[in-house]
Amino acid sequence: MRYLLTIILFITCVNNLQAQNTDSAWFVNNYTKMEKLIPMRDGVKLFTAIYIPKDVSEKHPILMTRTPYSCAPYGANNFLQIWKSYAFAYAKENYILVEQDVRGRYMSEGEFVDVRPFIKNKTGKQFDEASDTYDAIDWLVKNIAANNNKVGVFGISYPGFYSTEAALSGHPSLKAVSPQAPVTNWFIGDDFHHKGAFFAMDGFSFYPTFGKPHPKPTMDYGKGFTTPVKDNYKFYLQAGAVKNLARLIGDSIKFWHELYQHPNYDEWWKARDARVGLYNVKPAMLWVGGLFDAEDCWGAWNAYKACETQSPATNSKIVMGPWYHGQWTKEGEYLGNASFGSKTGEWYQQNIEVPFFNYHLKAKGDLSKLQEATIFFSGKNEWKTFGTWPPKDIETKDFYLSSGGRAVFKLLTPIAMTDTPKTLGDKINTIADKISTVFNPDKTSFNYTEYISDPAHPVPYTEDVHEQRTREYMTDDQRFAERRTDVITFKTDLLNEDVTLAGPVIADLKASISSTDADFVVKLIDVFPADFKYDSTYKTNGLNYPMGGYEMLVRGEILRGKFRNSFEVPEPFTPGKISAVKFELPDVAHTFKKGHAIMVQIQSSWFPLADRNPQKFIDIYKADDKDFQKANIRIYHDAVNQSKLIMPVLK
Amino acid sequence: MHFRLLLMSCSFILSAHSQQNGAMTGYIKGNYTKLDTAITMHDGVKLYTVIYIPKDNNQKYPFLIERTPYSAGPYGKANYAASIGPNFQLVKEKYIFVIQDVRGRFMSEGRNLEVTPYIPNKGEKGADESSDTYETIDWLIKNIANNNGRAGIYGISYPGFYATAALPGAHPALKAVSPQAPVTDEFIGDDANHNGAFFLLDNFSFMNYFGKPVIGPVEDYGSEVFTTTYKDAYKFFLELGPLKNTQSSQYFNNKSYIWNEYLEHDTYDAYWKARNIRQHLKNINIPVMVVGGWFDAEDLFGALNTYKAIEKQSPKNNNKLVMGPWTHGAWASGNWSKFGSYDFGSNTSAYFQDSLQTNFFNYYLKDKGDFDAAEATVFETGTNQWKKYNTWPPVNVTMTDYFLNADNRLSLKKNTNGKSFDEYISDPQNPVPYTKGVYRNRNNEYMIEDQRFAVSRPDVVMYETDSLTNDLTLTGQITADLFVSTSGTDADFIVKLIDVLPSIETPNTKRPEGKSMGGFQRLVRAEVMRGKFRNSFEEPQAFKPNEISEVKFFLNDVSHTFKKGHRLMVQVQSSWFPLVDRNPQKFIRIPDAEEKDFKKANINIYHDTAHQSKLILPVLKK
Repeated sequence: MRYLLTIILFITCVNNLQAQNTDSAWFVNNYTKMEKLIPMRDGVKLFTAIYIPKDVSEKHPILMTRTPYSCAPYGANNFLQIWKSYAFAYAKENYILVEQDVRGRYMSEGEFVDVRPFIKNKTGKQFDEASDTYDAIDWLVKNIAANNNKVGVFGISYPGFYSTEAALSGHPSLKAVSPQAPVTNWFIGDDFHHKGAFFAMDGFSFYPTFGKPHPKPTMDYGKGFTTPVKDNYKFYLQAGAVKNLARLIGDSIKFWHELYQHPNYDEWWKARDARVGLYNVKPAMLWVGGLFDAEDCWGAWNAYKACETQSPATNSKIVMGPWYHGQWTKEGEYLGNASFGSKTGEWYQQNIEVPFFNYHLKAKGDLSKLQEATIFFSGKNEWKTFGTWPPKDIETKDFYLSSGGRAVFKLLTPIAMTDTPKTLGDKINTIADKISTVFNPDKTSFNYTEYISDPAHPVPYTEDVHEQRTREYMTDDQRFAERRTDVITFKTDLLNEDVTLAGPVIADLKASISSTDADFVVKLIDVFPADFKYDSTYKTNGLNYPMGGYEMLVRGEILRGKFRNSFEVPEPFTPGKISAVKFELPDVAHTFKKGHAIMVQIQSSWFPLADRNPQKFIDIYKADDKDFQKANIRIYHDAVNQSKLIMPVLK
Repeated sequence: MHFRLLLMSCSFILSAHSQQNGAMTGYIKGNYTKLDTAITMHDGVKLYTVIYIPKDNNQKYPFLIERTPYSAGPYGKANYAASIGPNFQLVKEKYIFVIQDVRGRFMSEGRNLEVTPYIPNKGEKGADESSDTYETIDWLIKNIANNNGRAGIYGISYPGFYATAALPGAHPALKAVSPQAPVTDEFIGDDANHNGAFFLLDNFSFMNYFGKPVIGPVEDYGSEVFTTTYKDAYKFFLELGPLKNTQSSQYFNNKSYIWNEYLEHDTYDAYWKARNIRQHLKNINIPVMVVGGWFDAEDLFGALNTYKAIEKQSPKNNNKLVMGPWTHGAWASGNWSKFGSYDFGSNTSAYFQDSLQTNFFNYYLKDKGDFDAAEATVFETGTNQWKKYNTWPPVNVTMTDYFLNADNRLSLKKNTNGKSFDEYISDPQNPVPYTKGVYRNRNNEYMIEDQRFAVSRPDVVMYETDSLTNDLTLTGQITADLFVSTSGTDADFIVKLIDVLPSIETPNTKRPEGKSMGGFQRLVRAEVMRGKFRNSFEEPQAFKPNEISEVKFFLNDVSHTFKKGHRLMVQVQSSWFPLVDRNPQKFIRIPDAEEKDFKKANINIYHDTAHQSKLILPVLKK
């Protein structure tokens, strides 16, 4: 979602390179820029910047991005500094490059609707993003001279959503689409909610600016709300219940208030799932995403999967690399302290994306080597290709959580609990024990690991103090969390052989809580050997972080407990009663190498990434500060109630 | 105590040193003659002594002596040290520099004892560091040509102890003594224990080489007792388990005599009392300058309390105190103008060396110049300036109660509620880290570290004032007076006093490490109390589970200004790992505890009318 910020920083920060001066001169000398208001079927005009090659020796394809982040710079004499990006390759290939402000954003007319619902059978002047794309393409192929009647669309993040919608336009000239980190479902897995848990920090840093009203076309939305407190853990903790955040920004941000009205996965949210229109998709599709994308990793995997299932005849491929949001446009050698051993982003640009568009739009080159799925496996740091995703040759293995912080792939003989937790002397535990005895009279046979989750001291999602959510948290060292009393850890012995996971991981917990709601965060972690060092050829962040014993987050996901059985109809927990808490973590592509260990950490907060659960069954958007309470959480691991992860192990 | 280690591990100090050393090394060779000799003590034991004598024999020189357990080397007439003496200026001033291996260490004969007890009535054969120093000075005066009949002694850390030990029954030629970060009481506040809590992290690695049994004399102690490769001390010591596991065949294996003694003496018994040199600092009549660092993780207690003991027991003595913003021994470094997030605005080590140390020895040993230092020359952190006081602590201090209160408040008003407390669960399986991040050795910045990593934990309770409307300066000792209960029978209590910087930065807020300082929780002073010693260090007492007890203890002195707009914060927790070993939270001899003895405990900190926990702060009147 915040990809635009990255681009702007990129453009303003890099300069003074001789090669770029040469390239900028080349672009300005070899392209003309035109700005047009393209009329849609309902008469609304969308502002469109068109860069046309001066070369007339052949006809050129059109490559378009539709964006809510502005197609600036505005003015026919102001050129996009494309020479600072890998996308300059498209200019060198003489593509007609088009950027369009979507309906209701920046210089376009009309009303903006966030993740505008797709309308299946549009009639008359009915419009959606798919029809806006259709109308734009139609105008372009008819009005821009020397085009070859072949159009491609691509975009990252929110423009990834518009790419998905473009693919549904049905325009016959649209031949190839690449949705990249596409915003796909904001309740289940992208940006603002994961499994119903509100990603308040990302939302609050985005919407006060992005969500400002747009009464008429403008080049500038002005400044947004910025928090004076530069420690986001403190800021969000002091802000308290999320209703207080809404108060801080007033009532001008429409979407923010809509979101508060829809605490459950209702029809409003379902209409905003980009997958609903992914049927009978005509253009060739290239889905791209980052394994460590903090924003839309889920969207990349799951929009691709929906396309496979719902539109099986489509020529659809997926590429997933070890990237933060949009990092495939960069070198992509490392993220945080994790290093990947090669320029993964450049490899993708040169071997996949540019050849993909060249082939489909210019009939240039050979795509026969492009497999269904091209996936980078962190850990072993290698690209692998597959005929399906998830691969066919995976074995689903149960990964058991056990007492004493152990974890194993095969079931241990259950160990009876010998040490009752009476020594705790804690009120909550005493109450929890009493309740548990009522519901589970045969208590002595239970075996569990427990912790107290305190909303006044939520578990930080990252160790350091930051103003903005970091993108590195997705590979951060989790040792800081392991040290806490409210994080429980299960770890295998050192692995005797490599273990490669390829596909989604299912958390299948048996949990009881002393209250009526709780969040469950499950983190899958690669524990590096005590003497681990990256090979000297690896490029790293240069911080000289102690990598021996590093606990690399491979995948983390949160479930808001009340949605454990249904996102539509939340259900309270019965205090003390064991419930199944089962949910899917976004797909993993990682090799745990021989000599490493696999670790799972479980906790009930991930702050301020996700808002705090009051641990009381309530509409959290309406909760008051006084509703937040401690809860005792038990994760069971005995013969009857065996918590586990279900792992897709590659044979 | 670990000053040598510090020098070896802190490359920035080394680099500052090495520039100076390059010049110094050449100077020594050009201007000094080296003599290696053995001086025989009255019991026949020979102490190896290295003497650097000025080549210029047109005048007489005083002796400046350091006695060390860390080797007087390099050994041999032709092998010159890269640096000698307390600073280069004094080398250029010309003294007869003497470095001696103490009894039983390196090239000296005899048996070494940990912090050698002082023997008041030595008799014929009795020997201690005082008599060894006396006899050394006596020999030097009589045997080294061109001496002016005066001697001074100084030393940092363990050598600081040997400097203190020169005072009781001193040789009449001893005219100036400077104990610097002197090891003073290893049960109450220095190195090995603070208030009876064992400092595991430092001592485990230190005793691995220092406590190695060596049959001497030897020039080189060779390898350590055992080898470790861990990178993450927190994880290593947690997995190591109970303290007794340090004696396994993989580790000390009972081979370190000092480690054995530490584990054997887990109360303030005769062993520790005999090693408290303070009790013997009576009737001292020699100019003394005690030096210490506010951020000294090893012997801050020793510096402050050596000074105080002399003041109290030898009130007429010429006794000065210098306290700077220093880590252990940082006053000997070439440049100390910054540390962590602190920027002192001046080179504080140069100020000490040039304006205090050189003048002190020149005046008392050479009658040269003037030594007009104040009674106490103390660096004030927060405002970052040197202050001079006629007494330490200053007389115009008001002891002020700051009450721990409900809703995380630290206030001047008492609570009026009959029932009020905070609670947390202290879990020995997940102890509170003493520092953020992953380190093998002690993070030297932990004493000034941002405590936000700790306050986010459920096992740390926090109390905070409003933003201050005026600067608030503390000068002197802090008292923590807690009312607590535990569900176990023992527990540790760590109290941390913190300076909270304003949440909202002003445009001119400095960002010394490039990061926002808004809301930074800078540790000012912290201390641990092993709960069973709350009433007596000699006779530990169990807690009665869930009954309220008072736990009162001192935190080392501070000189710190909390500036207007800042807040005072107090954090309380029951572990500080692996700086301090884990308390099993069961009343037991901790060196005997087994894994199963380590229990979670529910800790309450009370602040009701009858049990009002508080800190007593020494507020300086303006």
